[in-house]
Amino acid sequence: MSEIGHGGKPIVERILDPGKAKERIKGLKEIPVREQIAVEVIDIAYGFFSPLEGFMKKADVESVCKKMRLTDGTVWSIPIVFDLSDKEISDYGIKTGDEVLLTYQGAPIAVFEIEDIYDYNKQEMAKDVYGTTEEKHPGVKRTYQYKDKFLGGKITMVSKPIINEPFTPFFLTPLEMRKKIKEKGWIRTVAHQTRNVPHTGHEWLMKGSWLSAYGELPVEKMVVGVVVNAIIGEKRPGDYIDEAIVLCHDVLRKAGYFREDVHLTSISLWDMRYAGPREAVFHAALRANLGITHHMFGRDHAGVGTYYDPYDAHRIFDKFSEKDLNIKPVRVLEWWYCPVCAEVTYMGLCAHKDKIQNFSGTLIRSIIQDGVKPPRLIFRPEVFDLILECAEKYGQGDAFVTQKYLENRNPVFTFPKL
Amino acid sequence: MAETFPINVWINEERYAKLQAAGLADLCQEMLAGLKVLRVPTTAEQRDELLKRYPMAKFDSATTKSIELLPKAVKDQIFDLIVEKKKVDVIAEFLKK
Repeated sequence: MSEIGHGGKPIVERILDPGKAKERIKGLKEIPVREQIAVEVIDIAYGFFSPLEGFMKKADVESVCKKMRLTDGTVWSIPIVFDLSDKEISDYGIKTGDEVLLTYQGAPIAVFEIEDIYDYNKQEMAKDVYGTTEEKHPGVKRTYQYKDKFLGGKITMVSKPIINEPFTPFFLTPLEMRKKIKEKGWIRTVAHQTRNVPHTGHEWLMKGSWLSAYGELPVEKMVVGVVVNAIIGEKRPGDYIDEAIVLCHDVLRKAGYFREDVHLTSISLWDMRYAGPREAVFHAALRANLGITHHMFGRDHAGVGTYYDPYDAHRIFDKFSEKDLNIKPVRVLEWWYCPVCAEVTYMGLCAHKDKIQNFSGTLIRSIIQDGVKPPRLIFRPEVFDLILECAEKYGQGDAFVTQKYLENRNPVFTFPKL
Repeated sequence: MAETFPINVWINEERYAKLQAAGLADLCQEMLAGLKVLRVPTTAEQRDELLKRYPMAKFDSATTKSIELLPKAVKDQIFDLIVEKKKVDVIAEFLKK
């Protein structure tokens, strides 16, 4: 029986058998791609981006930018595009109707059936997707960096990527995740989107959302799980290293802050666009494909700077019906530290508004950089210790991304040579 | 009064010993369940200047409204200036230096 993903469409893995792959790629022109494109090939091929079967054609891009829907009506909020320069198109001699082989770091990764070659007004795209044309916005900057033309068409992966340690056990494809959820006996699951090492604000966000999603279900046996889904992608200097993010989330369960039967850590590959509300919709689609039933959205979800209202990502879901998104948003306010309550508590409950102390991932990073160990009420000691361990083991002595880390890190994934 | 934006200088044992030796331990505030911190005020102009000089730093506009992730060496300089001047309001002098 097929698994139904986002937009009510079955999830189909677009991956060739190794035997067929060798035959299929014979004689194809090779086009090397950058990491972002390789990541998106993986996402499309495994069904993380279902119902997408490839990179978007112009009509879909236009429809996504203007209406937040694909041409078939499926809700979709961020264009997934493949860009090449005019010179590259001419040098490779590519035209509509061609099939080419995409390669990454010298290894073949996918057959790309080129169905459309088009240009698009990048400023208009930026305005539609990010609500701004300012290059300061990282998503806008990325849009302006796209080359002259976009190519649309189906992709089929020709070999499966190897997910390297320590990420191997955390990479679950949509079909694997659904199997895992069934094995665990979870009737409902609630996704926690993250690109941060967890502090107790995150922990309570997860616990509160878990309670929220649990609702009326029986409690003799736990039937709801929190699925931490860490976004692994482009890093900026000063971010936590990926290894620390994933392993520190997992240690929350190992250290008993979550029971074994209610928590799972996983990763998805994606370069954050910081599109705020539109990225929230994208995250909902991604996690719906993973088979997750609920998605928590906190304050300033996937935002950057002051481009979005802190709760835009809550409001955007008012635009969609249950038919549009087969995942339920769990809207969450802030968790903060209140010295009167003497605990991390919830904005929706605590009335000591003039006494509260907000904390954030950035603030915790700052505390750690100052050589101070945060108290366990704010930051679990097991997480703190593991950060230091990750710094030694993976970050060349630093828990935060440095140029040295970017140059020497073990890649998250590699493709085998066929 | 114009809004100010704090730099949080978190106080570890070494910094606390220096503050105590200078008789300035009472400049510390307590935050987040027992952490000691010096909250160094900056004006909007000073904040922008600091962010320009130290691009690694970040103004946490979403949650804490504070300037975070200044390099440790910079925070050490600010801390030393606080000890020297015996007050937390030192950013104007710091920027002149």
